[in-house]
Amino acid sequence: MKHQLCVLLVAIGVGAAVCTPPAAAHHSFAIFDHNRTYTLKGKVREFHWTNPHGYIELDVAEGGPDGLAQFTIELTSINMLRRANWKSTDVKVGDEVTAIVAPLLSGEPGGLLLELTVPDGRVLVPPVPAIHTFKRTP
Amino acid sequence: MAQATTMTSGARALLCALMGLLAVEASAQLANAEPNISGTWERLGGLGGGADSPYVPPREGPPPLKPQYRADYEARRAAARAADERGEPIATHNTFCIPDGMPGMMAGPFPFEILQSPGQVTIVQEAYNQIRRIYLNKPQLPLEEIEPGFYGRSVGQWRDGELHVETLGIKERVRFRDVPHSPAMRITERIRLVAPDVLWDEITIHDPEVLEEPWQVTFAYRRLPDYEILEYVCENNREYADEAGGTRLRIGGPE
Repeated sequence: MKHQLCVLLVAIGVGAAVCTPPAAAHHSFAIFDHNRTYTLKGKVREFHWTNPHGYIELDVAEGGPDGLAQFTIELTSINMLRRANWKSTDVKVGDEVTAIVAPLLSGEPGGLLLELTVPDGRVLVPPVPAIHTFKRTP
Repeated sequence: MAQATTMTSGARALLCALMGLLAVEASAQLANAEPNISGTWERLGGLGGGADSPYVPPREGPPPLKPQYRADYEARRAAARAADERGEPIATHNTFCIPDGMPGMMAGPFPFEILQSPGQVTIVQEAYNQIRRIYLNKPQLPLEEIEPGFYGRSVGQWRDGELHVETLGIKERVRFRDVPHSPAMRITERIRLVAPDVLWDEITIHDPEVLEEPWQVTFAYRRLPDYEILEYVCENNREYADEAGGTRLRIGGPE
């Protein structure tokens, strides 16, 4: 009930003060667009299993704004990924992947990973706090 | 046969009385003993769930700041909310991978480990590999003999199954929820099991220079019996603050 109320309050823009989830240890997720997503297909150029965040540098083949060639994808901390059963070997350089990301509000070619489909077909979801508050768009 | 039965009843009564005495003694010993709080814990009601647990303490009130500090604090809060709404959150210590220090490190959301050893309780917070040491049954030093730091100097005693801790010597830049404090801030804690696998830390911040009255915040934690604390090294921090102090993400790979 509290959760549903929070979703409603956040949706109408008044709930942030009372419904903000426990802060992530590193930074606010407010730099990312909560109202649209990109679905990017491409090849992994770099994968960083690092803190405070993991990163994928993606060579984009399809998806996102016209002409988008490269995209920096931020993951949660690797500690949170590990607790969600991710492994450092789940993503490899050269992998063809599909990533659903919440783009940066700044317009720069970067965003937050919400879902990753890896070559063996597994769909990996990072444990982003309050991930349900990111609205998916085509 | 009847006599034997009577004797058996008497013996049973005596045995029961003895057992009762032993139980009272055991219970008293248990109350005075140091409970086993060693192991890993995570915030109850945090990222791992449990918000509906009856052991989640009520949320604390706002910090009872004195008027000369309150206006500035509230203005900063309003500015932070506005910046979040613009998508340009104001950079904080975490943006630069500066750890929380005390008492923020007790807030989670990452798990922590408690280690009980003779004369010391050590708390290892996974985020930023933070460590605090609580020296048991040692006197606290005068404030002027403690160099200011992120964790200060903590001393504690077990009393009736509760660990009472006092911490002094927190740097002024180390702020819990952006609440200012003086160098003389004193943090007291009562750490106790409220259920076999639920721990509470009742934290009270005493700072007569800045606060109208002590400010109390309580965190609940649940045991993570099989969790092994992971390392956390900030080796690839791509967040930075722009000229306006907003958080930005560096694009295109590590430096």
